[in-house]
Amino acid sequence: MVWKIFLFLLLAFVSVAGISFPIVENPQTWYQFPLIPGLEENAKIIFFHVPTAWLTVIGFLISTIYSIKYLRKKNLDDDTKSYVAAQLGLIFCILATVTGAVWAKFAWGSYWSWDPRQTSIFALMLIYGAWFALRSSIESEEKKAALSAVYSILAFVTVPFFVFIMPRIMDGLHPGSADDKFTPSGGPVVNFKMNSNMLLIFFLSLIAFTILFYWMWNIGYRSLLIKEKLNKKIIRG
Amino acid sequence: MEGFYNFLISNAIFIVMIIVLIVWIGIFTFLYNLDKRLKGIEKEIKGDKHEK
Repeated sequence: MVWKIFLFLLLAFVSVAGISFPIVENPQTWYQFPLIPGLEENAKIIFFHVPTAWLTVIGFLISTIYSIKYLRKKNLDDDTKSYVAAQLGLIFCILATVTGAVWAKFAWGSYWSWDPRQTSIFALMLIYGAWFALRSSIESEEKKAALSAVYSILAFVTVPFFVFIMPRIMDGLHPGSADDKFTPSGGPVVNFKMNSNMLLIFFLSLIAFTILFYWMWNIGYRSLLIKEKLNKKIIRG
Repeated sequence: MEGFYNFLISNAIFIVMIIVLIVWIGIFTFLYNLDKRLKGIEKEIKGDKHEK
């Protein structure tokens, strides 16, 4: 219960601070964010858009870990945990794409420009979309779990490349690209001219959304496990 | 539509708020589906009890 109250307070603080703290040229107090040339007020989406992209990676990572666990122990509960994590990963992947596209309309002039970052997240969506198609096409529980576990492991190999490498070594419009004038050699978005307060709220946002993800994943797989156990009980009579 | 677009261009904070709204819609959708799943489970349990 304590961590849920903590999560509520953290999310409330991040939401209020992320939206309402003013952006000024020379921050004087703790509640002011620095002006980032080219981004201005739009820079505040970093507190909400980046966590969705982060949770995409976390979701796919957890899915892979439980896929490996399934292949080692053949426990169907691990497959369920892997499934819910990938489901959440895909939800946050879609959210990162949509929020990014909305932001791009105002920052770059169009919703979609096939920027390396947009292309890579689109490729990830297709890869994991195919994973769900694969799962729904197999009847046998064991076969479904084994095949999707193998697919999940192979799919995750592409995640670091698509999220952390490709968008940073290629020229693009997205902040952090190789030709980004604010991060000369390309690099993580946090290399922007964020001051320590902005960084603190950014990391608090990442922590808050990660805890929220854990909660969603936890109730998600628990409900599926109960449903599966109930179905088995009904079948056995 | 053009007027709204221009309004957002000059009031970027509303773009941030739209983005926050999209994130919460995604989370709400997940919770809604979870709620539907739980209702299904409750129904099955009730049916199971009636059969007994």
